[in-house]
Amino acid sequence: MAYVFDAEQGAGISDRTAPRPFRDLHYVRVVTTGLGFLLFGLFGTILGFLVVPLLLVLPGARSTRQTRARRMIRLAFRSLVGFMNQTGAISYTLSGTSLLGRPGQLVIANHPSLIDIVLLIAFVPGAACVVKRAAWRNPSMVLAVHAAGYVANSPTETMIGQASALLDSGECLIMFPEGTRTVPDRPAHFHRGAASVALRAARVVTPVFIQVRPPHLSKAVPWYRVPAIRPHYSLTVGTAIDPAPYRERPAPIGSRMLTEYFKSCYAPGTRTT
Amino acid sequence: MHDTEAIFTELRATLAELFELDPARITPDARLSEDLEIDSIDAIDLLDRLRRQTGRKISIEGFRSVRTVRDLVQAIHRVVNEG
Repeated sequence: MAYVFDAEQGAGISDRTAPRPFRDLHYVRVVTTGLGFLLFGLFGTILGFLVVPLLLVLPGARSTRQTRARRMIRLAFRSLVGFMNQTGAISYTLSGTSLLGRPGQLVIANHPSLIDIVLLIAFVPGAACVVKRAAWRNPSMVLAVHAAGYVANSPTETMIGQASALLDSGECLIMFPEGTRTVPDRPAHFHRGAASVALRAARVVTPVFIQVRPPHLSKAVPWYRVPAIRPHYSLTVGTAIDPAPYRERPAPIGSRMLTEYFKSCYAPGTRTT
Repeated sequence: MHDTEAIFTELRATLAELFELDPARITPDARLSEDLEIDSIDAIDLLDRLRRQTGRKISIEGFRSVRTVRDLVQAIHRVVNEG
């Protein structure tokens, strides 16, 4: 994804004589980014070991526990995003996020950065997420992902079954069709799992376009290689996709066509809405 | 659907329809992945169709070593003829 210095960001580079806010200085942002990770780890550990077990022990139906767990994760991530924004590690803008969190909605997004999932979960109420199976092996995450009813991305057959059941019961699900972060300067590889789930059970597929300028926490660079200027995340909700027409062909064909359509939505230079 | 000939004929029709393939390409020695471009996600859709057709609970375990159409016919034959 090419990035362009727009007027707002360009001023920070060429205008070297004007004093920059303290928090915007490069080394400060390495520190605040690192602090963000530390906090996330610490907070996550406390939540994972103390709060979630309490949640699981409280009386109530599984669905109530699940709602509480999802809300708790969303609030924790919302705070983390707020922290990173206030301390100047990142900035962000949202467009259309009130459209997210609908019953039976499959939310898909591209995956340029490590923290785009944090941003999504922070702003999509009540949603479950398909996450790497490794989360269930992580002691500070296993109880949280279990309580929140998240879906492991493997084995594939199980993922498709659980994701479809979740959408069928009227919940909202977040998936990254790429499965892993985009490698910069390489075309994105979209797996058919998201389309397969969409065709089985989604009422609507809503694409979210995540842009990070300049590139931040991407697959190519270690976390401490913070960019020269404050990275800006923009989350834009695109036009909803109706899966129904793709169900008219046999499932393997429909899922290929729908995946191709997803790819075309995310191709560089395409209008997002 | 108890003998392998019948299973093969029915399977060829199913694969042709599901994957929009020319039936002539579906030979017993055809490899699912390399020759017919059927991947692991397709296998899930195929298994769903086979479950509906046979009325049996088919687990993916019995199909992990399937590589060719012939392997698939034999796996289906095993499922259909058990108990």
